[in-house]
Amino acid sequence: MSRLLADIGTVFRRELVTVRRTPGYVVLAVGLLIVLGGLAAVGGGGGTGFVPAVVDFLLPTEILVPLLAIVLGYRALLTDTTSGEFAVIRTYPVSTVDYVLGVLLARIAALVAIVGVPFALVGLYVWLTAAPDTGIFATHSGVDSPLLFVRFLAFVLLFGTAYLSLSAAVSALASSRRSAIALGLLALLVGVLGGDLAILRSLSGGASPSEISGLLALTPNGAFRGLVFEHVIGVAFAPDGGFVQTGRAVGSLVSWILAGIVVAVTTLTYAAGVDVVVERTQERLGEY
Amino acid sequence: MTLAVVVTAGAFVIDPAESVPDPVAYDDTTELGLSSETDAMMAGNATLPRIQVFYSQLQYVVGYNGIGSFVASLSDGRTERQFGYPLVAYVETFDHRDPDTTDGGLFTATGAGGWTPAEEAYYVVGSDARTPAGEAVIPFRNREVAESFSADHSGTVVDWESIRNRSFDVDSAATVRSLAPSRWQTANDRITEAERTADRPVSVVVGEDAPTIDAAVEAAPSNTTVVVPKGVYHETVTINKSVTIAGDDARISGDSNGSVVTVWAADVAIRGLRIDGVGNRTRDPEAARASRDEESEAWDANIQSGYGHGDAGIRAIAAPGLVVDDIMIETNASGLLLRDGSHAVVRDLRVDGSETWQNGFMGITGMESRVTVTDSRFEGGRDGIYLHRADGSVIRNSTFTDNRYGIHLMYTGDALVADNTARNELFAGITVMTRPSGNTIVGNDVRNSSAGIQSSGTRTYIAYNTLVGNELGFSTSARGSLYEHNVVVDNELGARATTIVPSSRVVANDFVGNDDHAAAGAGALRVWADGDRGNYWEGANVGPQPSSERAYRPTSPVDAALHGEIAAVAVRESPASVLLNHLRGTVPGARSGSIIDPVPASTPYHPERIDVVTSPDSEGAEPVHADWRAELSSLTDEQDTTHENTTNRNTARAVGDYK
Repeated sequence: MSRLLADIGTVFRRELVTVRRTPGYVVLAVGLLIVLGGLAAVGGGGGTGFVPAVVDFLLPTEILVPLLAIVLGYRALLTDTTSGEFAVIRTYPVSTVDYVLGVLLARIAALVAIVGVPFALVGLYVWLTAAPDTGIFATHSGVDSPLLFVRFLAFVLLFGTAYLSLSAAVSALASSRRSAIALGLLALLVGVLGGDLAILRSLSGGASPSEISGLLALTPNGAFRGLVFEHVIGVAFAPDGGFVQTGRAVGSLVSWILAGIVVAVTTLTYAAGVDVVVERTQERLGEY
Repeated sequence: MTLAVVVTAGAFVIDPAESVPDPVAYDDTTELGLSSETDAMMAGNATLPRIQVFYSQLQYVVGYNGIGSFVASLSDGRTERQFGYPLVAYVETFDHRDPDTTDGGLFTATGAGGWTPAEEAYYVVGSDARTPAGEAVIPFRNREVAESFSADHSGTVVDWESIRNRSFDVDSAATVRSLAPSRWQTANDRITEAERTADRPVSVVVGEDAPTIDAAVEAAPSNTTVVVPKGVYHETVTINKSVTIAGDDARISGDSNGSVVTVWAADVAIRGLRIDGVGNRTRDPEAARASRDEESEAWDANIQSGYGHGDAGIRAIAAPGLVVDDIMIETNASGLLLRDGSHAVVRDLRVDGSETWQNGFMGITGMESRVTVTDSRFEGGRDGIYLHRADGSVIRNSTFTDNRYGIHLMYTGDALVADNTARNELFAGITVMTRPSGNTIVGNDVRNSSAGIQSSGTRTYIAYNTLVGNELGFSTSARGSLYEHNVVVDNELGARATTIVPSSRVVANDFVGNDDHAAAGAGALRVWADGDRGNYWEGANVGPQPSSERAYRPTSPVDAALHGEIAAVAVRESPASVLLNHLRGTVPGARSGSIIDPVPASTPYHPERIDVVTSPDSEGAEPVHADWRAELSSLTDEQDTTHENTTNRNTARAVGDYK
């Protein structure tokens, strides 16, 4: 077990160095901060509290966080494969699982920094500045609380990790940078629009509305949106909730993460196997 | 790392809805519900049990006068949509505060005994104690005290759960709307009654039977007419019996000292006179100062004696049933001054006041005197009509020019202000101050003034007005009110949302050509629409989509520019703008300083009125009065029988007025 952790740790550290050497990621974080800061400033929700700020952020978050996660992940496993470094790594006693987990964890750490820090900073800004616009009357904060923003941040990171894991799978499947970009974009579109379109389709196809809360939880975006409504925004509407089945939504996000890992590991193992077969064939042919 | 995990876990374990704020001083709440400044409340020593509520989405603490107002608001879905659900409510309890009833049966107490969470208090219902609005619900902290009060006043003690499920008959602005046509009819009846009063046999003719008007009045028996033939009469007249003074192009010219005609008797009619030579004392500073020392005086003694004791063309003191018809007054003080229950019917009165308002006074000053004014004209001076505690007054078909305020109501409720025209008013065309209840302000046309209509109060119906070329069209200061079918054109600012906590409906108004259609002061987001019906905003329908597809926010810089600058459409269609607009209407109570119309209308509600006021020829300057009586009558016909009780009750009240 400790051997496994050590192996993962080694890959993790190596990957972290790679991430750190990519200055573009800092630009992404700054970009996200600008977008969120702009929303807080122009949207007006941040002026009064966390719940309206989250309402302003919800829709942009559903698009931007998957985008950033895919940018972070679409080449994560591809670069090493195409450069041949993965083949070299394979000569060390590091399993494909160790390798994939190590890379993914490093990228998750990067996600936490690139996505988490801008959100946290904006949250801090809201905390410091949100106030009623007149002090003549007695005011209170309603159900608004920084805790709600912490909840939101936790959902954002879980949501981002799901996409990161999926994009890692994409990077394992792709054979070139170009195909990785294409596959990544496809995953983004299917993820952001596809799931909800499928729900709309099934509803217009006669599915019972009572199934919505279950269906919604199946896609990453649906699960995320449902969780935010249930545990952040909805707290201000109704004490009893019911926007999504919480367990199912969290389970769904975790399943997407695991699915990404499984696909990545399988692909790399299988691809490596194919390589070996090809090389052996070449060798054999060479002999003759 | 560990800290992050703990904080995140903690964020899910702790329920933010469970932290309960402590009660605040009632004066610091934003008030909804019954008005505490109606005449009945101000004059008597009645106590309204109050409640303060903390809503989940609203940053302001809402205070309600009367428990019933709060409970009734719970069943109105709009409250939850706008403010969220109540986190906690505190009621004022009256243990050891001498709870009792006044002689009139109103609930009274010596202050309140602190705030108790609503679900912990005990409530006395069905007792003989009442509030000016109906049944009183009186909270107590201890069950024994509640039971003892209940035993003394034949009520029953119930808990909060039972109060919450009770239905309270709380009048709304829609009730007030349904009363508007009948108030117009009431005015007609009063005028008919006045004509009957004035029609008396001739007994004395001035110049033939008596040398002066004053002497003629002296000589005439009650219930007869004194005829004043053509000519100029230099005198002042005192009328202390019920007679009719009928002039025929006659002019009474006073000595520029004091009032010209003074009426001390009931049912006096004065018609066909021109009056000038009025003294220029507008107020009585001595009276105001003297009364301030006496504690036993009424709460408004200052205003009464200060404003009610100046000079006037016609001054009536405790003279109910006064009829003023076809009179022209030139004055630098008041035209007509009514005091102490001088209920008057005024038709075809013309008052020419001072050039600058600081030098003059009111066209009509009415103190505790219900007036019915029709077809009159007020130019210059301070206020065209100033009423203080004149519930049930009607002002209609009259014209106001170059005053400070055209019509100015203080502590005056249940009034009808209809089909008047105001031009060039320095402060405002129509203003209602203090917190009266149940006024209807309909069909008026105000232009070129600082403000069109500024009405505070509660349950006010402000509709079918045409407000053109003013600095401000109207403000929404009246709470729990209805603002509809107003045409607001070419003002610097069309409408201003003023109250902190939105409680009124603003719907089916047309906003055209204003520099800014609407602006909002501090407070929660105002949703200006009623269900699927919004307002018409010029500019909301430009661009590729029909306007009803998307919300319009007059307070957003982009939407506000749509009717002036077509390029704003391209900005509005930007993803950034679309993203921001998308969920805007969610958690309205927690948003601030803005207005949203989720369902703007694609065409104006009253294109004919807009066409007239925007037409470049002289026709455009003519007064425009919407046919609100026809529209409201058809509305009343459609109403179901649940409103019958209200209507009957008010018809009864109107009939009672005559007796």
